[in-house]
Amino acid sequence: MAKRNYRPLVSVKALQKTMGRYYAITNYHRYWGKPLRRPLAWVTSGAPVELLRAFKIHSAYPEQYAAIYSARKTTVALCEIAEAAGYSQDLCSYARSNIGGVLRPDLAPLGGMPKPDLLVACNNICGTVLKWYEVLARHFNVPLLVLDTPFLTAELTPQAKDYVLEQLYAMSADLEKITGRSLDEKNLVKQMRRSAEITSLWKETRQYCQASPSPLNAPDFFIHMAPIVVLRGSQEGIDYYRKLKAEVKERVELGQGAVENERIRLVWDNIAIWPQLFTFYKMFADKGACFVSDTYSGGWAIEQAPGTPMESLAATYTEVFLNRSPEFRANQLINLIREYKADGFVMHSNRSCKPYSLVQEVIRRKVMSETGVPGLMIEADMADSRAYAEEPVRNRVQAFLETFE
Amino acid sequence: MQKYFVGVDIGSLTVKVVLLNEDLETLGMVMNRAGFSGRDVATRLTEQLLADSGLTTQDVSATVATGYGRVTFPSDREVSEITCQAKGIIHLFPSARTVIDIGGQDSKVIKLSQNGKVADFAMNDKCAAGTGRFLEVMATALEVEWQEIGELVSTSENPTKISSFCTVFAESEIISQVSAGALKADILAGVCESVASRVASMTRRTGLEPDIVFTGGVAHNQGVVNALAKQLGFPLLVSREPVITAALGAALLAREILKA
Repeated sequence: MAKRNYRPLVSVKALQKTMGRYYAITNYHRYWGKPLRRPLAWVTSGAPVELLRAFKIHSAYPEQYAAIYSARKTTVALCEIAEAAGYSQDLCSYARSNIGGVLRPDLAPLGGMPKPDLLVACNNICGTVLKWYEVLARHFNVPLLVLDTPFLTAELTPQAKDYVLEQLYAMSADLEKITGRSLDEKNLVKQMRRSAEITSLWKETRQYCQASPSPLNAPDFFIHMAPIVVLRGSQEGIDYYRKLKAEVKERVELGQGAVENERIRLVWDNIAIWPQLFTFYKMFADKGACFVSDTYSGGWAIEQAPGTPMESLAATYTEVFLNRSPEFRANQLINLIREYKADGFVMHSNRSCKPYSLVQEVIRRKVMSETGVPGLMIEADMADSRAYAEEPVRNRVQAFLETFE
Repeated sequence: MQKYFVGVDIGSLTVKVVLLNEDLETLGMVMNRAGFSGRDVATRLTEQLLADSGLTTQDVSATVATGYGRVTFPSDREVSEITCQAKGIIHLFPSARTVIDIGGQDSKVIKLSQNGKVADFAMNDKCAAGTGRFLEVMATALEVEWQEIGELVSTSENPTKISSFCTVFAESEIISQVSAGALKADILAGVCESVASRVASMTRRTGLEPDIVFTGGVAHNQGVVNALAKQLGFPLLVSREPVITAALGAALLAREILKA
């Protein structure tokens, strides 16, 4: 019996180099930021980073650092600091661990995050970010720019688009004041083009998983999505995904699957369970079950909306999947199940992420009824391991996998 | 030559063992408290059960273990209790489409497809309210044996209201109800309602389709059976031995291993 039935990617080395470089540059920002007149912004994962790049602003992502804190098993300690300071345990664990890391950087991996010069929050992913970033703004006494994207119950209306567009212009004016630069239109076009390219590469890489056996499994999506989150608009990001795509393409040509003896194809919904990233999916891989796609990393595989750069930004960032109706989200999952020929799906009821999780039961029933495939729901948290009960989770996973026999 | 199969269910509270033969005859069934080592109890019970039929472990063709303690027990296969419960119930009630199982600290609802396979399931998560544990705590606080509950509850005319959110807090609640002079029967009726409503809300996740079978140790409790049937608005089928249905399912699966 093979001891390891999960095949790691060679590109992981290039990923570590790319991300290592990013963290080093980011962490030493205090040395080069002022001389190069490049402020550091802490931004939400759905912030219009292309606009910030056009102003030569360097971005760091608290959510992404929070995932690292989790992988390094420091989330609980950091959350406890925030909770002791009065933050409710019901709040998002990214917010709690980030705040914990701000209050006690000595407890955070990488020494915590470098101090921001400004904060940029877009609520297309959730409403928690608004209050979270206000806390940070008060703590660091730096400007906070907010982009309010109205929730889309159906398609993007002209009014919603105009509302967001107006805010982007206002944000641009604020950024001019903060950076002392005027908006470089050519640079913005370049950033948009690069974003479009990296997004395309990521999308095509994921699409290879329609093959059987799938060349990638869930841990791969979650590990290799890092550059598209934090290096969108950069040439390093593009170079990295070209490499990854080539390796994945080769795997398909050679018929190499991520999971040995793939016999069950599944789609994953919600953010990863970072503290158990490998051990969790191993339960599935051990039984020949492979996650051939997911709704989370797929969120970064979306085409740019048409129009001028600002119009495109307004539409693209408002149409982010977490800002859409349950019908849209159910269809997203249904389409993935059909396109990737999945035999079932697994939903992570993520205690931290209310917008992602609270509507899952409705989506689950609709998807099961329309596709006829079974869907498992498990309760956990993306970063806080206190919410992960191994035995009950294993029990449910086993029961679910037994239905495929 | 006759073949024999063993199904072992090592639960959180009790261990159940069923002995089956090739002709689907249940030759014996036994249950005992799990204590510290469910595995040791299971081993002892299995040997005892076999001895009662004049058999030894050598005579057993296959064994399947289920329940939380299944990985600790040497068996030919370990299978989740969801699958085993579905197997056992469909054998006893071929018309079953929904199974409600309330055990020591688990409660689950299993939806069965036309061919008796598991189509969907819902389980309690990180909370024992609405399980056998809840009833046990309340019965102990009221100094009532669980066998008495059904009859006592049937005499109640004014069930009290009890929180269904936390077993420990609910215990404090009923103690204060006792101090306030509430009748034992009424408090117990409230406890049964509480368990029933907790389970009823779980059935909404998978949906309810008759015939509905109620199994697990708590199905012995007539108070809960009646409260649940009333809340669901459906009659409930209950086997004569609800505690061993998962172990029976395990034994049936053991029989199928050999056929495979």
